[in-house]
This record gives sequence, C-alpha cells and structure tokens, in this order.
Amino acid sequence: MPVAPLLLVLLAVPLLLWLGRWRPAITPWLAALTAAGALLLLLAAVGSEPVRWAWATTLDLYLAFHLDGIASLYGAVAAGVGLLIVVYAAGYMPHHLHEQQRALAEQVPFYAWLLLFLAAMLGLVTADDLLLLFVFFDLTAICSYFLIGYDRAYSAQARTAALMALLVTGVTSVAMLAGILLLYAEYGTLAISELASRVQAGVRLDTALALIALAALAKSAQVPLHFWLPRAMAAPTPVSAYLHSAAMVAAGVFVLHRLHPLLELSETVRLGLFVVALLSILIGGLLAIAADELKRILAYSTVAQYGYVTLLLALGGAQGAAAAAYYVLVHALCKSALFMTAGAVTQVTGRKRLSELGGLARPLPGLALVSGIAAAGLAGLPLTAGFFKDELLFKLATEQGLWLQVIAVLAAASTLIYTVRFWVGLFLGPPKRRAEPLPGLLLAPIAALALLTLAGGIIVDPAVKWADHAGSELHHQAAELHAGYKLALTPENLMALAAYALGALLLAARALQPLLARGLRRLDVVGADRAYRLLLHTLNALSHRLHGLEVRDLRDRLAGVFIPAGLLIAAGLIWGPQGERYGVIGFGDATPHLVVALAAVMLVSLLSVRQRRHLGLILTMTGVGLGLAVVFALLGAPDVALVAVLVETTLTLLFIATLALLPEESLRRERRRASILHGGWWRTLAGFAAGGLVFVVAWATLSEPGAELVPERFRQLSESAHAKNIVAAILADFRGLDTLGEATVLFVALLATISLLRTVRRRS
Amino acid sequence: MSSPLTRLIARLLLVPILLLGLGMLIKGYSETGGGFSGGLIAALGVMLQYAVFGRAAVEQQLPAVTGTALACASLGLLLMLLVTFVPLLWGAPPLSHVPPPDAHVTHLGTLELHTALLFELGIFLLVFGFVIAVLHQVAGGEMP
Repeated sequence: MPVAPLLLVLLAVPLLLWLGRWRPAITPWLAALTAAGALLLLLAAVGSEPVRWAWATTLDLYLAFHLDGIASLYGAVAAGVGLLIVVYAAGYMPHHLHEQQRALAEQVPFYAWLLLFLAAMLGLVTADDLLLLFVFFDLTAICSYFLIGYDRAYSAQARTAALMALLVTGVTSVAMLAGILLLYAEYGTLAISELASRVQAGVRLDTALALIALAALAKSAQVPLHFWLPRAMAAPTPVSAYLHSAAMVAAGVFVLHRLHPLLELSETVRLGLFVVALLSILIGGLLAIAADELKRILAYSTVAQYGYVTLLLALGGAQGAAAAAYYVLVHALCKSALFMTAGAVTQVTGRKRLSELGGLARPLPGLALVSGIAAAGLAGLPLTAGFFKDELLFKLATEQGLWLQVIAVLAAASTLIYTVRFWVGLFLGPPKRRAEPLPGLLLAPIAALALLTLAGGIIVDPAVKWADHAGSELHHQAAELHAGYKLALTPENLMALAAYALGALLLAARALQPLLARGLRRLDVVGADRAYRLLLHTLNALSHRLHGLEVRDLRDRLAGVFIPAGLLIAAGLIWGPQGERYGVIGFGDATPHLVVALAAVMLVSLLSVRQRRHLGLILTMTGVGLGLAVVFALLGAPDVALVAVLVETTLTLLFIATLALLPEESLRRERRRASILHGGWWRTLAGFAAGGLVFVVAWATLSEPGAELVPERFRQLSESAHAKNIVAAILADFRGLDTLGEATVLFVALLATISLLRTVRRRS
Repeated sequence: MSSPLTRLIARLLLVPILLLGLGMLIKGYSETGGGFSGGLIAALGVMLQYAVFGRAAVEQQLPAVTGTALACASLGLLLMLLVTFVPLLWGAPPLSHVPPPDAHVTHLGTLELHTALLFELGIFLLVFGFVIAVLHQVAGGEMP
C-alpha cells in the first residue's frame, strides 16, 4: 500500500495534538514513533501496486500514488532523517524554549508541524498525478513557513525569513501549476506515468518544463533564487537540519527527478539547468568559504551541493538520474549531521560564529569524532560514502569533456576548503570559549548519521544499487551505476587527488582568506537578496503613489468609476448596432396603479435632490426604493419586490445607525458645505446629462425586441426541478454556481469589514 | 429612544420574526420567499432588538446570536460549498441536486427534503450572519 506511510503520519498529527495537551513531554517520543513507523511502512511497501482512485471523474481528478525506487529513496531520507531530527529536537527544544522564556507546552505544535511536513514529503514522493504533486509541493511550503517562523512572535528575523521563504517558493510554485496545466492542455493527462509515453519534443514541452523547473530550482535554493536559504537559518536548528539539508530542498530536486524522462526530450531546459547549476556551485561555494556564521556556511554549502545534483540531472540519462539520487542521499546524511553539530555547539557554548569558536575537541571529543566523519563525507574523503558521490560526479564529468572535469575538480576542492575550515575552525586550535557538557540526545543522532556515512563508505553496494534501481526505473533502461575502490590511476581517482591537493594548497594560503571574504561580501551586495528587497520596496512605493492619486474623498473615488463607465456605455450606445430600439408601447395592459406608483417614485426622487439634511436624504432614498418595490410587485415580480423591501429596510437601519454614531459637528459641517455647493449651473447640467443617459440606456435595453428576460427553457424545466418558484429554481439550481460565487464574495467582504473595523478600533 | 411599550413589543416580536424568516426559507421553493429573504427577515428581527435596547444589552441577552454571527456566516458558505461539490465524489457534475429532476420528493408535511433547501439554508445562514456581524461591529462590539 503506497499510501500507508502518508496515512500513518496524517493520523498521528491530531493524536499528537490531543495527547500533547495533557502531557507535552511525550510528544517527541510519539513523533519519533510515528516517523519510525512511517519509515518501516515505506520500506515494506516498496514495489507495491500503484493506487489510483478517481474522486471527481467529470473533472479528471485522481488520487494516484505509486511507490517506486526514486520515491522510496527520497521517502526513506525524509522519514529516516526525520526520525533522527525528532530525537535531536527532544534534546534541543527544551533549551531553546527556556532561552526564550516560553512554556514547554509550546513544543507540541512544533512536532505537529514537523510531522505534517513529513506527511507532505511522503505525499510528494509517492504522488503519481501532477496536480497531487503540486498540492503536496505547496503543502511543504506552508509547513516550512510555520517551522521557519516558529519564533515569529519573538524575533523579527524569524518573521521576515519565514515570509521570504514562503513568498519565493510559493510564488514560483504558481509557475509550476502553469507548467502542469500546459502539459494537461497539450497531452490531456495528468498521470505522470502516462505522460512519459505521450510527450513529444517541442516548444510547448520546453515552456512547460521551464516553468516547472523554475519552481523546482527556487525550492532547492539555486541561483538566482537562493537568497531565502541563508535567511531561513533564523529557524531553530532541528528545522534547518531537516528542511534545509534533507527535505525541503530535496523536494525541488525530486520534482526534476520525477519528470526526468520528460527532461530527456528538452535540450533547452537541460541547458538552462546546466547554467543554473554551474552558477550555484560557483556562488554557493565561494560564499560558503567566506561566511562566518556556522549555519550560514552550511546554508551556502547546501546551495552549492544542490548545484551538483542539478548538474547531474542536467547531464541527463538514467545514469545521471541515478547518480543524482545517490548524491541526494549521501548529502542528506552528511549535511544534517553537520547542521546538528552546529546547533549542538551553539547550545553548549552560546556562540554562533566560527571566528568566536575553537578548540572544542578537548571538551567534546565524541562530537568532534562524529562530526569529523560527517565532514569527511561531505568533502568526499575515502572510507566515507561521500567519496563515491564525488566519484560518480567525476565519472560523468569525464564523459563530457575536459572543461567539465576541471570544473568538477574546482568544485570538489572548494567543498573540501569550506568543510575543513568548518571542522578545523570548530574543533582544533586554541580554545576560545568554555563548553558545557553535551546532552546525549544531541549526540546520538549525529553519531547515527556518521555511522551510516562510514558504513556507506565501506559497504558500498546497497546504497549504490538502490540509486541504480531508482534511476533505471525512471527511464526504463539500465543505469549501470558502479562504484567501488579501485587502486588504479583511473580518471576519477586522479581528479579526486587533484581536488584534495588543490584544496589543501588553498587552505594553507591563509593570507588569501580575508581578501576573498571581503570581495565576496561585496558580491552579496549586488546579489539577488538585494533585488528581492528592492522589488518589495518598489511595489510598496508604487501602491502608495496610486493610492495618493486615486483617493481624495469619496466623491472623487466614485467619480473615478462612474464617469469612465458612463462614457463607455454612451460610446457603446452610439456606435453599437442600433437594431429596433426605442419602441413605444401603448398603455394598454398597464394599470393606472402602475402609472401612479411610477409617478410617486419620480416625485420622491425629485424631493431627494432638494434635501439638505442627512436624515432627510436617507429617508427619501428609502422612499424611492420602496416605491420601486411596489412597481416590481405590480409588474408581477413578487420575489424581487420582497427582496427590495427587505434590503431597503436593512440598509436604512444601518445608515441611521451609522449616522447616530457620527459626531454632530462633522454632520453640521457637511450640511454647510452641501448648501454652498448646491448652486452652480454646471452641476445641474451634469445631473441632467447623467439622468438623460440612464434614461436612454434603460429605454434602449428594455425595448429591445426578442430580449428574453427569463429563458423559456427555465420555465419548462422548473416544474421537473420540483420548484414552483422559478426565481428560487434559478438561484439554487439553474444558475446555482453564480449564487455560490456571489456568496463567496459576500463572505470575503464580511471578513474584510470585520478586520478593517477591528484595526480602526484598535488604532484609536 | 425607547419607551416601555416599545421595549415590550420589540421583545415580543423577536421570536415571531425569526420564525417568519425560517418559514420564508422553507416555503421559498414553491412560493415567494427563499433563503435570502428569510435571512434578511430574521436579521431584521435581531436588528430591532439592537435599535430598541442598544448593543450592550443585546450582547448580554442574546450571546448565542451576537457571538456566533461570523461562525454562522462561515457555516452557511460551507453548506453551499458542500452542496455544490460533494456530487463530484460520485461522478456527477457540480451542483447536481438530490432528488434528481422528475424523481419523487419526500415530504415532511409541506417541507420538501431536497438539497436545494440545504443550499437556501446556506444562503440564509450567510446573510443572517453577515448582517448581524456587520451591525454588531459597527455598533462597537468585538467579533470573536
């Protein structure tokens, strides 16, 4: 059952919230149990039959889930790392909450959001339907807002970071929806497995894939949409270790993996991916070397490492997909271990910056050892699984040519530089700060990840076979991924050695470091981060300017709408098809009552023009409305008459209530102003012109022959629709969707009114 | 603004007006009326209380109405959305009513058991909640 892990986690969330209300202390363990259960169910369900439930066949909507090789790989990463993160958070969150003087019970929503995020990831990887993929993709963005902004009530930094992450990933995911709908419009199906056989190369496919790739790359923090990731380091460390090394950034690359067979057919998009990947590797690597804050180094490193993954995907083919999958797996293990190390160090020393820390190997030997293994894995040193992630990259680069080999070596060298700098800067050298003892709960997950990295370096086959299987299944052809220690001068080994040598050389050249750091800080100034902030600022300024232009008082605003509308309608009347309008019928059927009612309405309208006092104005307008209601009733429209009477009454009462709340002084002022403005011949002329226009429009419209006000079809159908009242049938049945739309508008207006009134009240 | 006679009549009229509103809702499918009119009539009944007794008194005497106006409106909209989109689950187009055209309709007296009535009930709740919420807010109350 491919849906089983997802359902387990979804069911666990309300249970966790409910139990957390009584005993907050057990929520981490419940979350850990859930994550472990999800992992087991996932591994047990690999290769099971895909599931496809049609839940709205008229709209072609299906709930389709399929747990294939690539889904199991990403899902196991999400669930496995999630389990370790929950254990880590059990040790980290109490201290974090204590520092901010928050109650322990506040950790319950944290674990709930974490589990919800895990559920979204599981749904994303198993989804076989493009729209379902999109829904889970957006769900991860929403969960990440609440996780990154966990401290948003206490820290402005967390607020901006969460909002930035949500905006960047959320807005680009609209591009993803557009791409998906393009594919649907072109090929008529949303099922991923069917699409692969139906697509053909062409501009449409290129455009759709480019849009989807945009969303995926923004999610994986690739240049130029990478700037949200360093900001997101304002999140608590478990969140950074989970989302920004193993889960959320992996979601973007997963989408590219899923659509890899389609990417095969699109040279242009793959070229674009290639360029973006190279830029990310370059910029991410350089910024990681220059950064000082621990988590920021790791964030930029993630940008660079996911650049490698994108590069492997851009190279294409089953081998590229398999190598990229292996890279994601190993990276997740090593990077989350390093993030957890950074968090642990910050907790026991109280410092976040590399320049303020050092010599921690003596007080924290265990941490030094396990994080050293993880760092070695990231840098690609032998005896760790990381060696093979680089070896696969080198092998594929060799096939492409010398220039890519050079780039790969440089990239590996830069990874070595910042990783060694990180580890050495933390653990070796003279001690700079005192360190408290490390809780076991913080060490154990890092140790587990380090063990996995080491195991992957010694027993190479299982992980490589897994990635190979994933890649082969995607493309329906063998990926032929081989990795192993070869004590020979293969190109890969040579490149690895060159990378180590280059890295060591540059590390030794200490003098270069500060120069590089200064130069790169200048680079960041013209970076995309500034562009984003500039964009927001410009949009705000533009809206202020428009507001200033548009709004003076109510009269100007109304004039701004009515005058152009009136002119357009007049233009339509003059230049539209004339037809047989402006007919005149005799009085005939029209009873004297109707004439009297209409005359009364006219009289009251004329009276309303002469009113000086506000109350008089309101009452005469009500009179007009009620008179018209009588006219409707006489014309045989009782429903409309009823509604008119009720609406008039309600609005009059609301008007008078508002009037009673206004201060007497301002009412008197308005009366005086009105009497001054009352003169002026051109206002009278404008009034007559407007009235004349409305008269002509009404005459033209109502005297149009053949204009059927209630279609004959409705009259005939209403009997079988069990409605003797045609108006009710039209509102609730024939044109029910219109009613639903209007109801939605009404509800939104209600929410807006309440929040506006509440804000005004709070301000005063 | 109110004399003892006005207050007595206003208090007496509340329940009949609410019942009149409900009646309009129910008979709307076969005679003049419907959810919108019924909702407005019911809201007018409560508005009368506001006009005669003032907001604070109404908040004290009818907490169920003033406190749940927003929830009422939300429930109304939700009901309308359900009636529209639940038929998709069994493959019918949106807003397919049960019982379908020309089928037999169960009657409870003069009350027809028809999903269009649920739709009208949704409109009723939405309009009622809307008017009361806005009125309460304008009169200086706080909406939860």
